[in-house]
This record gives sequence, structure tokens and C-alpha cells, in this order.
Amino acid sequence: MLGGVFHAAVLFLVAAGLQLVFGVQKILNLACGSFYALGAYAGVSAVSWALAAGAPPPIFPLVLVGAGLGLALVGPVIERLLRTIYDRDESFQLLLTFALVLMFEDVIRFVWGTAPHQLSSAYLVYGQLRVGGLVIPVYNLVVIAAGGAIAALMGFLLARTRFGRIVRATAENRGMAEAMGVDVSRVYVRVFTLGVALGTVGGALVIPATAAVNEMGIDLIVEAFAVVVIGGLGSMRGAVAGALIVGIMRAVAVATYPEVEMLAIYVVVIAVLVLRPAGLFAKAAA
Amino acid sequence: MITNRRTFIKVLAGAAAATGARLDVAPALAHAAPVRIGVLAAKAGVTAPVGESGLRGTQFAVDRINAAGGIAGRKVELVVEEESNPKDTVERFRKLALQTKAEVITGGISTAVGLAVGPVSEELKALWLAWDATTQKGVEETIPKPRYAFRSVDNEAEAVMASILAARQFKGKIKTVAGINNDYSYGRDNWAAFLAIMKKFGMNVTPVVDLWPKLGETNFTSHVAALQQAKPDLVFSSFWSGDAPILMKQAHAAGLTQGTKFVLTTAGGVHESMKKAFTPEGAIMGYNSLYFEAPNASPLLREFSKWHQERFKEWPNYESDHAYFTIVAYKAAVEKASKAAGGKWPTTEQTVEALEGIEVESLSGRRGYRSDHIMEASYYQGVTTHKNRHDFVTIDPVEVMSTKQIQKPSGTGLYDWINSWSV
Amino acid sequence: MSLRLAVAAALGALALFPLAGRDYYATLMLPFFGYGIALLGLNLLFGTTGLLSFGHALFVALGAYTAAFLTSKLGVLDLEVILMAAAVAGAVIALPTGLLCVRYVRIYFGMLTLAFGMLFYSFLLKFYAVTGGDEGMRVLRPRLLGLAWASFGKVEFLTGPFYYYSLAVLVLGAVVMWRIVRSPFGLGLRAIRENAGKAEFTGVDVRRYRLSAFVVAAVFGAVGGALLPIPTGLADPLLAYWTHSGNLVFMLLLGGFGNFFGPVLGAFVFIVLQDQVMSITQYWRFVFGAILAVVVVFFPQGLTGLLDRRQRAGT
Repeated sequence: MLGGVFHAAVLFLVAAGLQLVFGVQKILNLACGSFYALGAYAGVSAVSWALAAGAPPPIFPLVLVGAGLGLALVGPVIERLLRTIYDRDESFQLLLTFALVLMFEDVIRFVWGTAPHQLSSAYLVYGQLRVGGLVIPVYNLVVIAAGGAIAALMGFLLARTRFGRIVRATAENRGMAEAMGVDVSRVYVRVFTLGVALGTVGGALVIPATAAVNEMGIDLIVEAFAVVVIGGLGSMRGAVAGALIVGIMRAVAVATYPEVEMLAIYVVVIAVLVLRPAGLFAKAAA
Repeated sequence: MITNRRTFIKVLAGAAAATGARLDVAPALAHAAPVRIGVLAAKAGVTAPVGESGLRGTQFAVDRINAAGGIAGRKVELVVEEESNPKDTVERFRKLALQTKAEVITGGISTAVGLAVGPVSEELKALWLAWDATTQKGVEETIPKPRYAFRSVDNEAEAVMASILAARQFKGKIKTVAGINNDYSYGRDNWAAFLAIMKKFGMNVTPVVDLWPKLGETNFTSHVAALQQAKPDLVFSSFWSGDAPILMKQAHAAGLTQGTKFVLTTAGGVHESMKKAFTPEGAIMGYNSLYFEAPNASPLLREFSKWHQERFKEWPNYESDHAYFTIVAYKAAVEKASKAAGGKWPTTEQTVEALEGIEVESLSGRRGYRSDHIMEASYYQGVTTHKNRHDFVTIDPVEVMSTKQIQKPSGTGLYDWINSWSV
Repeated sequence: MSLRLAVAAALGALALFPLAGRDYYATLMLPFFGYGIALLGLNLLFGTTGLLSFGHALFVALGAYTAAFLTSKLGVLDLEVILMAAAVAGAVIALPTGLLCVRYVRIYFGMLTLAFGMLFYSFLLKFYAVTGGDEGMRVLRPRLLGLAWASFGKVEFLTGPFYYYSLAVLVLGAVVMWRIVRSPFGLGLRAIRENAGKAEFTGVDVRRYRLSAFVVAAVFGAVGGALLPIPTGLADPLLAYWTHSGNLVFMLLLGGFGNFFGPVLGAFVFIVLQDQVMSITQYWRFVFGAILAVVVVFFPQGLTGLLDRRQRAGT
């Protein structure tokens, strides 16, 4: 179960990035998986350098978050590219992000090669907890806590801050926001970068527990989509709910009926679609 | 009179021919057309590291061959195409055979690609020496009697050897087993072979859970939890790519590596990622046909390991050996057939005949092709240890078994063959 | 007038191509026919109706596996039967999936179709007893027009009878699609693309029209998909993966999705490009991504759009 929540925390981060960008700019970013992958690879490189340079191991999560945030600097660049087609049909935006997926795959291969990259001992730096009969690495809890903290932070940001109000206003009605004096293009850049950052940080945070492998971004897309379909497009709360459902569903499937592990996710997606087509927390109508 | 360079060279060459002396001064005349070897190498995705490894072994072989004068006097020219999905790879294969006019094509790793390329190699009469890509279903159904296609070792050879070692190592010590394998033919074949051999050796083990994550999965927290709940004495896994170290890392973090025995049939393929930090000692680990620090390693292997480590900052794995073998086997066959044909370059059919039953010195020792076009090799497996100067595990002692012991003979079914053993 | 000339010239070139003697390039053209047919369907869905599917590969794979199942499991070798069976399979699967998917539009539609495509991929991988799993299912050499062409070697068969048969199927499919697009039904679809609300107001049952377009697209996809694996001899699950759907959309966009001939041109250029670029660099995905980005940003009407502009500028 806890494993499911751990997976959900990571999924949430990627899905949150997706939701944010979609909610405001109505762009469904297929490259969200690529940012996740970039964050993972960069996370390995950053921590390896830091440790080699003599940094004390316990600060590695900061290095990871730093690497993720640093990579988010590609956000404005990509947004600039996407800006050229904001006014066009959404399909073009989808296609442009697909082009990005293809390009990022090769960029990653070019920079980091094809072998898996991993951190060997970072995972257990904080030790393990013994709960009942189970042994849980403390780092799993750190990631879950980070996911929760970021979710809360996002909620706060969107609901309570001026920036959040501007973002929500722009999402509701771009024309109106512009008329009220909002610099919409600046909002878009910031929102997109934030979305990218959520993905890259998610990838970086998960890397101590796993490894960065070729095409990891392409595989993640499907799960991220399942999360947003279940949670409802455009909703941050939906991202949380969807991520939890997908993560736990999978854990349950593996524990009880491993045969359908792969298909479980689609079953849930279709069930949600049939029963509640707009997703659980949908804001955008079908 | 000698008025220009061309005439000069002609005279020189004529004089050299007359005296029987060998002159390197006129390479243009002594130069024969290079022999093109096509290579299908995976470049992206989960098989990419394996493809890269194969390419390195190929390059090493070709460099040495060309330095020594080539194959029967012809230098080798490599043409590399990418192995991706079966449809596109078949097109690349056709390109190599029909357009590039490669005289032999090596490579091929994934099972589906093997199933698609095999029949194409036969219909084009194009010699194909696969690195991997073997599947028994394919062998039996698509091309039961291949003429031009030469395949790799059977899927289950690793599981067979690992199971034999496990039976020896753990007899009487285990009651329950669990399997975590990739959900495709390779994973399924290995798990099934393991169970059959456990039964044959009278191990009396009960499988308590078997898990089937997809190839390319990077998160096993739920799987590890399921394993913990089932509490098996032994966990069997045929993971061969990035998922092997991830599984161990997550298993170790959940405390599973204490007390549970592990059998990792092919994790040696990513041995450098199997760090001591999370890989326990006492596990059985398989390295397929190349163990980089084999105690009685041949000078060739030592030279290759050193070259590989210096050039790529990594130690080699088995695909380099499979790839190297295909190149030197081809060379040996061509030279053998050429001699039999009176010094002429042999036809494809003559090379095929020479390849059957051939034996050459490869990175992993002496190995060859059976007459049914399946590879023979030596496999290296052993018990993991932390007593080495690396940050990853190695094996000690190193067990070596030949495919003559761990691969079913041609014409026999796997389970019939296992049942026929005397234990 | 010049359009007819161009089409005739292209057909002529295609017909004469195998006779030029380069076997490899003739076999390279074979997927072009399968993709061309599949893309005619996708164009109806996207170009005419405005629904972008990221799961069209589902139907292509469905057609491929139908061909595989019929030839290697049931011993049915007549290609006419196989193509019809693929069409029926496409329609049968398209009805329920379409019913679910056309409830949504635009982004949702794209996402849902992607999900369904991946569902089919997982199914193909998982139920290996039926589908062969990762090893795929064999596709045996079919009979064309009742003849086995047994005296032809596989390559001769592929670059000869099979080539012309596929060309004929493509032409036939194009004629059928032409009729569909020019029919009242097609007009209705275009109205829906322009403004669904308005179309509804004028009495067009939007949902039914979209579903019909979806089914027709699926049928074309499956028929194209049935032709596709014959040169390979194998149908494998990767045919259903979402990036394969992405490539289909890429081809469509490259050719020009509003234009009737866009899909066919796109398939052709994509195949030629892929062949050349793959041999030049291992980073061909980057090159393709860049090309797609350039097309999306600067030439959204694709190559036919470019040609159109040139023509108009010339007159």
C-alpha cells in the first residue's frame, strides 16, 4: 500500500505539471514524460558530482530538487516554441509536443548514452523504518511528504496568492484577464515553467529509488494520462486523486492478481469514463 | 621509358611479380574490394545497451582482422543499421542484403525481430548470424531447417545453468520460491525451466508468487511488497536490463535481501550496475557468455576487457562476445571454404557449409556453431561476493558450463530433455 | 486540370517503379500502400471531421493481426477475404470505442484514443496464448485473386503481383474515400469541423456523424493494416504502440491533412525520409522531431499546402 502511495507521489508531480499547463494554456503536453526523464538523468549526474566533490550525503534531496529546478530553465525556451501556435487548433499543440518527445529522446541519448544511470547508495542514506513486519526506506516517506508538500504549496499558490489569482483568472477567461491588464504572455511563461519544474523535480526525486533508463519518458505518458483522465483535466485536486487511485490500484493489482497488472490501469480509466465522463474533479467540460 | 608514375609503378610491380617479392608500394593494385559486413544493432530503448555492447565486440573483431590483413586478403567494411521494431528492422535487413550488398549480416537481439528476420534471410538467401533473438517457437515453426540463418543460444540456457547451480547450492535449504520476471517469452521460458528443474532435482519447493512486470518497468515497490508478504525462501529473476539493479535496490531497501536467497540468471549483463550497496553476497548470478574477470581468462579476453575499460570506462558484457564470435566465425568459415574452393572467394552456400560445425576462439573461449545452426558457447555463473576491488559485486567461484551441458540438443523438446537427465 | 495530370503521372510512376529493377526500393514502397490506405481514413477523421486520433495505430494493428490470425491460425490465405475480414474487425471494434470516444472532442478525444491504443497494445502483449505476445503472430504469404503465384520467390512476389495488388487496393480505397468526402455525409462532417454548434442547429446529428467517421476511419485503418505486415511476415504488438499512432499523424501532417492527396503524399515522403535518414544518423528521431516541429509551426498545411501555395502564386 505504501509502495502505491510512493508511486502516486511521483505520478502526482508529473500529472500536476500536466494539469497546470492544460488548465491555463489548454495545451496537453505530451513531453511531460520527457521532462520527468530529464530530471531523472540530471538528478543522477548532479548528485554524483556533488558527492564526488565531497558534499555530505544527507543533503542529496536538495541537490536533486536543485537539479530539477535548474533543468526547468528549459521551460521558457520550450514555451517560446509553443507560443508560435497558441492560436491554432489544439491538435497542433499536441503534435508539437509530440515532436518534442522525439527530440528529447535523442537529446538524452546523446548526453547520457544508453546505459542505465543510477545512484547506488542515496536511497538508504536516511535509513529504514520498521513498521509492523515491514521495512520501509525513510526516503520513500520523504518523497511522499515532498509530494504532499508540493501539492499543498500548489494549492496555496493558486488559491491564496496574487499570482495564483492571476493564473486562475487567465485560465478562466484569457480575454477578460488581458482586458484587466494582465500580461498574459508572462503568465504563460511562468505557468509553463512551473509545469516543467514539477515534472523535472518529480523525476529527480524518484531517481534514488530507481534508475534512469532509455525511453522512460515515453512509458510514463500513458500513466500520466490515466491520472488526468481519472482526476479530470485541469484540476489540481484531480491530479492528487487520480494519482492516488492509479498508484494504489496498481499496488493492489500486483498484490492480488498480478496477471492483470498492466491492464488494471485501463480498466479504471474506462470505468471512470463510463461512470463519470468528466473525471472526478473536472472543471473543463467535455 | 619510365615517364610517369603509372608506368613506374607498373614496371615495379612487374619486377616484383617476377622476383616473387611482396611490395607494399602500390596498394592500388594489391587492393581487392572490401567485404561488406552488415550489422543490425539496437540503438534506442531497453535493448540499446545490449546493442552497443555488440557493436563494440564487432568493432574489436574487425579492427584486429583488418590489422592482420582482412578476410582472405579483403578488408572488412562495416555497415551498421538500426534494429528497432520488427517491421522496420526487416526493411533494414533487406537494405543491407539487396542495396548495400552485404555479404553477411550480423546482429539482432529481440525475439520478435528474430522471428521476422529469419524467414527473410532465408528467402533472400542472405547469410545472417544473429547475436541473440532466439526463440524456440520461432525455431520450430518459422524456419525448422534454416539454411542461411544462424541463431543464438536457446532462451533458457541461462535458467538451466542457474537452476542446476541453485539445486546444488540450496538443496534442503529452501521450501518456497517466488519468481519475478519480465512479462514476455524470455521471462516466461526461464521461469518455466526453473520450476521444471527444481522438480527434476527433487527440491520439493512450492512457488508462492510469480510476478510479471513489463519490460522497462522502473518501479517495483509494489512487487517487493508482494514478495515480502509471500515470504519466499528464494527469489528467481531473469531480469537482464536496467530493471535488475532497480529491483535489487528496492528489495534491499525493504529488507528483502536479508535471509532471502536470490537467483539472477542474467543480471550479469548489467553487472556494473549491481552495486555492493544493495546486492547481497550469496546470490547466484549469471553473466551469459562473458565474465570480464574469469580467473583463467584467455589473453584475448584480457586484452578485450582492458581495451573496453580504457576506451569506454566500463567493463564488457556478453553481447560483445556473441558479436565477436559471429565475425570471427564468418572469417574462419570463409577462409576454410575458400581453401576448399581452390583459393576463390566462396559462395554463400559454401560459407554456410563451412560454418556448420565450425569452432573458433572467441572472447569467452572456444565455441562454435552446431550443424543445426545454433550457437555453442560457454556460460559463466557463480555466487556473488563483495570481496573485490570494485563497487559492484563479482562472482567467486566462477562456474563454467558449456551449452553442450545446458542447451537442449537439436530435435529434442526442452522438458523431454530435462526429464531425461540422470540426477 | 493539372491535378489530374499530377495524379496520373504519380500513378504511372508507381506502376512502373518495380520495373526499374531496384528490388530494395520496390519492397520499401510496400508499406506505403498500407499506410496510404490507413491515412485516407485518418484524414477523414482529422482533416474532414476535425478529430485528432492518437490511437489510429490500434486499427492498423487490428488489421495486421487479423491477417496474421487468418493466415497462420485458420489457414485462410485469400487476400480478398482477409481484407474484408479486417474491415469488419475494424468496424466491430470501432463501434464501442467510438461511442465512448466521440463523446469528447479535441484534446480529450486525442487522449482517449491514445489510451485505447495502448489498451490494445497491452492486450496483445498480455494474452500471449492467443496473440503470441511479444513474439507476435506470423503472417503467411496470401493468395492473390485465388492464385498462389507459387513459382515466384518471396521477393519476386512482393515486388510483382503483391505490389500491383496493393496499388490497386490503394486506388480503390482512394476512389471510395473520394466519394465519401464529396457526399452529403462528407459535407456534414466538414460542417461539424467548422462549427459543431451550427451544424447541430441545421439538423446534423453531430454525434452520429462523428461516430460514422470514426468507424469509416477504423475500417480504412484496418484494411491498410492488413496489407502492412505481409512483407514483414509478422504482426507484432509494437504496431499498436502510441508512438506508431504519432507517426501516422506525422505522416498526415507532413502530406497535408486538409487535402485529399495529403495522406498519400505524406506516407510516401515519410517512408523515403525514414529510409535515408536512418542510414545516415542514429539520432534520426531528433531529425524527425525537428521536421515535425518545423511543419507544425511553419507549414501546417503540409506539402500539399506548399504545392497549393506555389500553384496559386504561379497563376
